Amino acid sequence: MAQIDLSRISVREGNELIRKYGEAGENVEVLNPDARHHIGVGLTAPITVKVRGSAGYFCAGLTDGARFEIDNNVGWGLGDNIYKGTVVVGGNAGAIAGVAIRGAEIIVKGNMGSRSGQVMKAGTLLCCGNANFMAGYMMYGGRIIILGDSGERVGEDMSAGDIYVAGKVQSLGSDAQLIDLPGEELDDILAFLDKHKIPFNGTFQKVANAGTKLRYGTAEPQMRSLPFFSFSGKSDYWNSKVQEDIHIKSQIGRYRIRGYGGARPLPHMTDLAFRKPIRPDLADAEIAKKVNLYTEIGGIHGAQPLKLSMPVMVAPMSYGALSASTKRAIGLASTLSGIAENTGEGGMSDAQRNAAKQLIFQCLGGRLGWNIHDMKRADGLEIYISQGAKPGLGGQLMAKKVTPQLAKIRGIPSGIDLRSPSRHPDILGADDLVIKVEEFREATGYKLPVSVKLGAGRVRDDIKIATKDGFDFVELDGMQGSTGAGAAEVLEYVGIPTLAAIIEAIEALEEIHARDKIQLVLMGGLRDGIDAVKAMCLGADAVAFGTATIVAGGCIACMQCHIGQCVTGIATQDPEHEKRYKPDIESRNIHRFFESVRWQMAAITNALGYDDVRKLSRDDLVALTPEAAAITGLPYEPEHRDETDAIAIKAS
Amino acid sequence: MSDVYTLDRIDYPDTPAGYEDHSHQRYYVPAPCQVACPVGTDAPSYIGLIWEEKWERAFEAITATNPFSSICGRVCDAPCEPACRRAQSDGPLAIRNLKRSVMDRLGKTYKPTPVAVTQKETIGIVGAGPAGLTAAHELAVAGYAVEVYEMSDRPGGMMVWGIPGFRCPSHVIKEDMDRLFAKCPGIKLNLNCTLGKDVTMDELKARHDAVLLTIGSWWGKPMGIPGEDDDKVVDGVSFLRRINGGERPQLPPHVVVVGGGDVAMDACRAALRMPGCEKVSIVYRRGPDEIPARKDELEGAHKEGIAFIYNTQQVSIARKDDGLALTCVKTQAGEPDADGRRRPVVVDGSEHDIDCGMVIAAVGQTAASDHLDQLGLMARDRVDTEWDGMRTKDAKVFAAGDGAFGGSTIVMAMSHGQRAAYYVKQFLRGNAEPLPYRTPYRTRRVPLAQDIMWERFPRQEQAFHGVGDKPADFPEIETGYDLETAKAEAARCYRCDAETGSADYSVLHREDIFSMARTNPLDVNKNRRMLEKRLAPRINPYPEERPGSLDDLSILPANLSRLVIDPYREACSVSTDIAGKLDLDRPFMVAGLDDVPDQVWTGLCDGMKRSNAPYVGRRDPGAGVAWLQLVADGGASASAAGVLYAFDALGGKTPERARDGQVLGISVSKAGDVEAAVKRALESKCDALLLDGSGGNGPQTTSELAGPPDLSLLRIAVMTLRGLKEEEHIDLLWFGGARSGTDAAKLIGMGAKAVAYGVPVALAIGGQITDAHTVAYEADRSDEERAVAVDNLFKAHAGEASMMARCTGKTNLMNLEPEDLRAVTVAANKATGIPLVGTRRK
Repeated sequence: MAQIDLSRISVREGNELIRKYGEAGENVEVLNPDARHHIGVGLTAPITVKVRGSAGYFCAGLTDGARFEIDNNVGWGLGDNIYKGTVVVGGNAGAIAGVAIRGAEIIVKGNMGSRSGQVMKAGTLLCCGNANFMAGYMMYGGRIIILGDSGERVGEDMSAGDIYVAGKVQSLGSDAQLIDLPGEELDDILAFLDKHKIPFNGTFQKVANAGTKLRYGTAEPQMRSLPFFSFSGKSDYWNSKVQEDIHIKSQIGRYRIRGYGGARPLPHMTDLAFRKPIRPDLADAEIAKKVNLYTEIGGIHGAQPLKLSMPVMVAPMSYGALSASTKRAIGLASTLSGIAENTGEGGMSDAQRNAAKQLIFQCLGGRLGWNIHDMKRADGLEIYISQGAKPGLGGQLMAKKVTPQLAKIRGIPSGIDLRSPSRHPDILGADDLVIKVEEFREATGYKLPVSVKLGAGRVRDDIKIATKDGFDFVELDGMQGSTGAGAAEVLEYVGIPTLAAIIEAIEALEEIHARDKIQLVLMGGLRDGIDAVKAMCLGADAVAFGTATIVAGGCIACMQCHIGQCVTGIATQDPEHEKRYKPDIESRNIHRFFESVRWQMAAITNALGYDDVRKLSRDDLVALTPEAAAITGLPYEPEHRDETDAIAIKAS
Repeated sequence: MSDVYTLDRIDYPDTPAGYEDHSHQRYYVPAPCQVACPVGTDAPSYIGLIWEEKWERAFEAITATNPFSSICGRVCDAPCEPACRRAQSDGPLAIRNLKRSVMDRLGKTYKPTPVAVTQKETIGIVGAGPAGLTAAHELAVAGYAVEVYEMSDRPGGMMVWGIPGFRCPSHVIKEDMDRLFAKCPGIKLNLNCTLGKDVTMDELKARHDAVLLTIGSWWGKPMGIPGEDDDKVVDGVSFLRRINGGERPQLPPHVVVVGGGDVAMDACRAALRMPGCEKVSIVYRRGPDEIPARKDELEGAHKEGIAFIYNTQQVSIARKDDGLALTCVKTQAGEPDADGRRRPVVVDGSEHDIDCGMVIAAVGQTAASDHLDQLGLMARDRVDTEWDGMRTKDAKVFAAGDGAFGGSTIVMAMSHGQRAAYYVKQFLRGNAEPLPYRTPYRTRRVPLAQDIMWERFPRQEQAFHGVGDKPADFPEIETGYDLETAKAEAARCYRCDAETGSADYSVLHREDIFSMARTNPLDVNKNRRMLEKRLAPRINPYPEERPGSLDDLSILPANLSRLVIDPYREACSVSTDIAGKLDLDRPFMVAGLDDVPDQVWTGLCDGMKRSNAPYVGRRDPGAGVAWLQLVADGGASASAAGVLYAFDALGGKTPERARDGQVLGISVSKAGDVEAAVKRALESKCDALLLDGSGGNGPQTTSELAGPPDLSLLRIAVMTLRGLKEEEHIDLLWFGGARSGTDAAKLIGMGAKAVAYGVPVALAIGGQITDAHTVAYEADRSDEERAVAVDNLFKAHAGEASMMARCTGKTNLMNLEPEDLRAVTVAANKATGIPLVGTRRK
């Protein structure tokens, strides 16, 4: 057995050694752990690691196949996201022990902190003592065995899985219920205890999902959206949309849900103009070769950056919201155009990985599909905090869309109503986030960029925190961003416009003299190379296209994504609908859209007198509306509208 | 002309410089099917109208640009269908069949309004085919007298003589002709009048101010092989002409048709129906993938048992026994031609004979006129015509259709007719440099078919009957849709024409993105055009006259900066109270509905009872509903939970409770009175102040319906209380313009303690807004239904309001504060004092 002494080397060095010993098949003893964080993180070899003392946060996290034995206590996030393997803790565990595990066996000899087993998918979490409040919070599967008392609100908002309590059930959580314990399950538990040599004679009460939420008496009538001009702009205060909403809400008794982003016009890049006249007729087919568009994102803290042929990425969109065929088409297109794709919430499939040369792997609060193996084959890791379309809220995927394939990749039982939590179990504040980012870096050897996806709200504050937390870049999503399903009112009225978001972000970074400490990727309602160049002028390092990407690939903007029966086969998991989508054709369409964006970016940059997209600046822009001027601080020069307006009339 | 089937055709054409579209639809982008239609038929509109069963309007949309709609409903080659965005999915809309379903209903009976002749000039048109008659129609509609000279005994050209009756029965043709001539009495038809024999060009030019030659492509091309002058060899168009003239000749048992176009398809299927004929074979020199016949016709021929001999080219014909031996060679696909199709290459040593009794050659058509040739107006087998102005060598003579540009389709010939008519009109008006012609695209802005099954229906086919029991009678091969089938097919339409529900992804933007996605990266011209188009800014959606409203306030979500406030905030409290005297489960009340009819009032009160919402008004809602009485002349009621005195009626009186424990308050409706009302309320030790921002005189739906509320009442009240450091002593209640839970959340964020709804509740209980800003009710629902609707509305609004609070990271709706809000417009910023988003500081 090899020994590692953490009083002599850093955790980072220690973890590298543990992984090396793991490859060699040699067991490891960790001396002087002194409750340091991240011990053993990222280990994927079947060795035993004995920790001689106490461990800090995320001990044994993001591992697969190893056995960990910790003599004393552990901090929070014990065994975070373990795939398979065993963890035995001699003492107590802090909060969220067994968070998001996907098949491990975790034994805590003492007591567990609050929210143990939060969003766990499979495996067994055993607590020989008492659990604190909300054990099994939002769990999706697996079992929690508590030999002592349950703690309050046990099983809060659990979707599936089983909780067995031998002691007192102090109180049941929302949507949880007590049910009879089947004999064979008791036998299973006793066998498990026996295997781990835990003496026990008694019986259990079983806590399971009550299934009272997410079941609606009256379905929301399915109808195509009203045309936007009938309810926006100068239209009547009690317009047809307001009336429709009231009628429907008075039938269904809850808020309305739909796909896409905000429907009404908001201040937008299109309300800006370039100071110099742009002459498209002067740009030739080779213009993209004359302007340097190549951009690296994510490398400022030493990770291997994403190498983008232009400052453009695909915005995060999940397999789940979108069909597998659509994700494949987008991935192929991103490869053809030399840009990066993003998994979104739903996990990473082989097809996505193979289609996209550069793929960012996104981690959400539900940890759906999150695992160490896909982390290691990703080109970037991203922590989702919120999104522009529905910032601050979690998602819902109805059982209809949770197919066996989808369930497998997300690591959950199929056919359940899937609730995604609105926040991460292990990120309650900016300080936790630092530790979480470090865990990801530890697990992947500091090779991958780690980014954060933020819906635009208090951007001025958020961006400063993100910078301090050590992210490589931010994907900043304005309120014009879209979603597969969201409450209509949130889509419309929560967040700030993309145009304002970039202004606040840049200004915040300038205030703390940290513009070079983090990169900004702007998204949310950007539609073409013109929007992209304006974003770059305002200070973005790159932009991302989401809705525009799927529109290029055949979306007809009917805004019924949430129904799950997308007529074009994009926002669906129904094979009858999905077969209508032809990834080979649509990947080329999406690719051509990106190439058109490239040509536009190059043509404008060149027309503004630059040979490099990084030379663009605020001085290249003016504002065409009082709003845009007030929001951006750019000079209000409506006279720039006149010359271009002539084109507008001609073109429309 | 670009091909319908290429990527580029999906784009709608650029508008020519200076072109003015009479529809003035600034944001209208025609759908791909409409662009693909040579005559610009507004297909999405009529499909939408079919769904709504508005047959007359659908009929209008169909016939507006197409005088031969009944014929086209049967036999148009329908270039719209391959352009349909659903084509690459589960099959294009059956647009032609849908057109037929409308024409079958109304084609026979419709009585058009005749168009009078108003112009002095006249036009002579040679040939009464689709090009000539469509031009005649256009010119007649413009008020010109037109004379048509037709060599046969009936109008219709190839529509009559080329298409056999089993595909398009004669009564269908008659329908279109009757309608055309009834609508255009200014068209005079001269039948049996052949150019060069019965009338000369000189005569026509003398008689008319302009002449249009639409002489058609009337004669079959020879195959150019030995033996084809045998009398058992006929050309396809001549054969069809005989059949369509009524002949039913006895044919030999085996007939071979050479060629793979639409004439070949019609000829083979017609031959099969003739007495004596047992088998018909098609000989085509390329493979099944290259055969040019329309898919429907090909399938029809297959279903009827026509034999297809592909990759076979005719070499010679000789007599054999009583019949013929058609000598052929096999071919294989070679290098692509200029048109992209692979050239057939002869396989050595593959010569073989096909025995038959008759050969029909359908290898192309040609125009011919010795008379025009002598005048120097022909270029080989066509009238010498320039596309740009449809002019011939003779300044006064125009030409169009197959006779000018080669064999094509009915709908293409019709579009030529429209194009030629345009240039003829410009000529007659003396315009030497007319703008280039563009097919007009109109839209009728038909609402979307809102069938929930729209994404599920497969393509609906018409019933196919084949040759039938009496083939020589030419029974029609298909029957049209019944009502349900027509609607199901109409419901499949994506409605690419319809405006989307998203301003950011409006049709204009969506189609541009579509177009960018179908641009060859090397196509610099298209890239330039697209960039120029995309550079254009939008119209400012926030013009100065637009008032600041609740719509333009946004809620700031919690992200990193608010993570720590509440980690477990899936639940959010929405309860509140008024002055500790009236507990509310939700911060919602009802107001302004004193005048609802008694029949409605009962259900409304039941609804308020169910949702535990107080009523603010003069009318007593009865037991079970907390009543905040707006005190009128009768004085305060002891049964009310609270009494509110109107500020302007208060005069010198002191507001008083009718009993202890009542909520006491003042209501104020004018911004200018708010400061005084606040002070008065404080002096009188009131609990609450009702702010009526509706601009009326006390809560009423009528004033609420007049426009957005005046939010300054709330701002002034809050500022006044803050200035006096009395914020905790008066609860502010709001009425006016609250439409949703979101609106309520914003008002609460700005300082309101509870929000009263008027119009939304009126709508929930079945009210309809009238033009006079009143609400009308009908006896269309029960008390129970009205009560449930009120309860549902408040549940939904509570959900919305709590969601807003949760987004900000709060667990109690009442904790929302101005800091949670931002204005997205300057006007909203000014009206509310809420800071504008962005706003770069110096």
